[in-house]
Amino acid sequence: MRIEISGLTKTYRGGVAALDGLDLTVPTGMFGLLGANGAGKTTLMRILAGVVRPSSGRVTVGGHDLATGAGRTAVQRELGYLPQDLGVYPDLTARQFLDYVALLKGMDDRAVRRRRVGELLEVVALTPHADRRLRGFSGGMRQRVGIAQALLADPQLLIVDEPTAGLDPEERIRFRTLLSQFAGRRTVLLSTHIVDDIAQTCREVAVLAKGRLIFRGTADELVRRADGRVWSVVTDGPPPTEGTVVSALPHENGMRYRVVAADAPGPGARPVDPALEDGYLALTTN
Amino acid sequence: MKPLTLWQYEVRRAGWSALLGPPIAVAVGIAAALANPMPSDTTTARILLGTLEMAIPLAAGVACASLVGRDPAVELQLTSPTSYRVTLLRRLGVTLGWAAAFAVPTAAVLIGTGWWARWPANHGALVGQLTWVAPTLGLSALGFAAAAVFRSPAAAGALVTTIWAIQQFFAGAAQEHRAGRLLYLFATTRGAAPDDWTANRLTLLGAAAALIALALVVLGRAERLIGEEDE
Amino acid sequence: MTGAFAASLRYEFRMQVRKRSVWIVPALTLVLFVLIGGSLLRDLFDPAERPPEARTAVVGLAVQLHGLLAIGFGCLLADRLVRDDRLRVASILDATPAEPRARLLGKYLGAGAATAVPILVAYLGFALAYAVDSGGPGAIGWALVAFVVVFVPGLLFVAALALAGPLVVPAPLFRVLFVGYWLWGNVVPPDTMPTLSGTLVHPLGGYALTALLHFRGIDGEDTLAGPVSGATLNFLRPDPTPAVAVLSIGVLLALAVAVLACGHALRVRRAR
Repeated sequence: MRIEISGLTKTYRGGVAALDGLDLTVPTGMFGLLGANGAGKTTLMRILAGVVRPSSGRVTVGGHDLATGAGRTAVQRELGYLPQDLGVYPDLTARQFLDYVALLKGMDDRAVRRRRVGELLEVVALTPHADRRLRGFSGGMRQRVGIAQALLADPQLLIVDEPTAGLDPEERIRFRTLLSQFAGRRTVLLSTHIVDDIAQTCREVAVLAKGRLIFRGTADELVRRADGRVWSVVTDGPPPTEGTVVSALPHENGMRYRVVAADAPGPGARPVDPALEDGYLALTTN
Repeated sequence: MKPLTLWQYEVRRAGWSALLGPPIAVAVGIAAALANPMPSDTTTARILLGTLEMAIPLAAGVACASLVGRDPAVELQLTSPTSYRVTLLRRLGVTLGWAAAFAVPTAAVLIGTGWWARWPANHGALVGQLTWVAPTLGLSALGFAAAAVFRSPAAAGALVTTIWAIQQFFAGAAQEHRAGRLLYLFATTRGAAPDDWTANRLTLLGAAAALIALALVVLGRAERLIGEEDE
Repeated sequence: MTGAFAASLRYEFRMQVRKRSVWIVPALTLVLFVLIGGSLLRDLFDPAERPPEARTAVVGLAVQLHGLLAIGFGCLLADRLVRDDRLRVASILDATPAEPRARLLGKYLGAGAATAVPILVAYLGFALAYAVDSGGPGAIGWALVAFVVVFVPGLLFVAALALAGPLVVPAPLFRVLFVGYWLWGNVVPPDTMPTLSGTLVHPLGGYALTALLHFRGIDGEDTLAGPVSGATLNFLRPDPTPAVAVLSIGVLLALAVAVLACGHALRVRRAR
């Protein structure tokens, strides 16, 4: 489902502009949405999911206009959504929760529902815990329940907001693979501030800052934004003050800093190959 | 027609308060009738009918006031193709249906044992069911609408209990004018002007319909439901 | 202990006092109260209808406002303790070195005081308006005394119930039971059924009203405390004297402490 956004603005009560004249097209496949906290990612996700109404602008998803009730309902029939802060019903078991969400998604046939819930519990490795109440689940287990519910009705559009938060490294890798396999001819919009998740899954990326689109292109193009601007500095003195320190690792001669800066951040700084995270930082700190 | 399983889930979502309220209300009413130290047919019958007209509406009203504002999965609900308003209406139906499940047998027992007829202003076995139907719907709709507006079960519950209490404490004053009489919840057991009874019951039903409509309009603004709550 | 108590008191007060519902519920109650015919709120400003004595007028107003506004007060406070669990801050607070009892006391007094602010404002506001309208400044003094001996003990008792009750039953069910109790324990005439109305455990303040404020209803004919012919539980209704009135206030405060202590013990046991 192709998403087309033009002139999208969302201003909350009190005059806070979460989105400011956003134009964006999201094609079929995996698409990454990057941005700092407060950049407007969650508002955009909520608008696409039909929860929040835009202040102005036009959004169509698969040709359905989200300004109309019929359009929103049509999109929601094809939608899988994992909100950033997933709330669950603590008195239900994982299986019951998924069964309930499946009913809300219109899966009325009991046998179909049971089979699908069973499959997804297996996919997110929760089968052994399926009949435990969600009250006792850890954050990561709840997140896996959230992922399962988003996939329930085989959605054509999957919107996931910070999906890997709370997952251990193994779960993160498995979930990223799952998303990539799932995408195929569907649209998967992955919003995160974990750049590595985008790097591993998305060919195309958009970056938001203060409600505006500051980048739209491939992941490689975003990486190239940092060409000639990533440096490695080894020092036993204070950290470099020029540019943005990406990482700091202990080194036999002090500390090794990876820095994104327009010019060499100090004597002995040597250029290194950029990664997606460097490209993102080069873009947002410019 | 949705599967029964969905209704079963909505029963759980309506919460323990919705389930425990009506049986406790009936039990308290019967205990009050038994504790009456000056038992006369009329006063005991009045207390028993009061169970239906006062206690059950209060329990249902406060339960309905708790249906909006504390749904932990509200964002998920709002992105589902099943309208959240429909889901809340199901929960409202479950809450009211459960209250009716206790009110109807209680009324049947009172009619069967003759206690119903011992209260002079009983209005018969059939139409007389408005004794509990009208205030239950009126107070529940008020609670539901207040919850939709405030998004706070505490505030909505406080409003329902306060209005119930005002009409209890100031029964005479509340019925001094016609508008007050038409909206008085306890017109069967504490009504000062029995001639207004039918109009009173119909007004309560009309007010209930209007309040539910208001709630549905307010609930249509999904954004409010995930916005800042009055915590 | 003092630091945790003071911090808890301050922040619970701030969080509660800025809740819109803390102001909206009493305001709507007062609007409804004014709208219904024959309420004292309207009579106070009608020279032909108002009680001749300023004391009777403002103490009568205290009884009516306390009887009504305490219900909203209890309902609004009913989720303050369980709210910490719902908002997932309980475990964070429990992990601090702050003494849990001090935090509970701070929450109790802070949230309770904040919820009582609109009641105080409404009551003293009406008393002041009455004093100006009737030209009797003594009304303000009586209003302050009534607030201290009637409202404060009653609201402290209600706040303890409201904080601890929802640990045992769900908050909405507590609200139903609370309003039922309030009607039964304060308003039901003692000769119609066994009730705590008019006993030493009377949060509406029957003994303080009778023995300290010499108030026996607007018409001076009501029995708000003391034995009632034909009533059960008369052993809890000694003759009203100032000493017994002070005892009655002490009983309410002791019960409030006991209820809070039970609530605290219950939370500690569940947290283990």
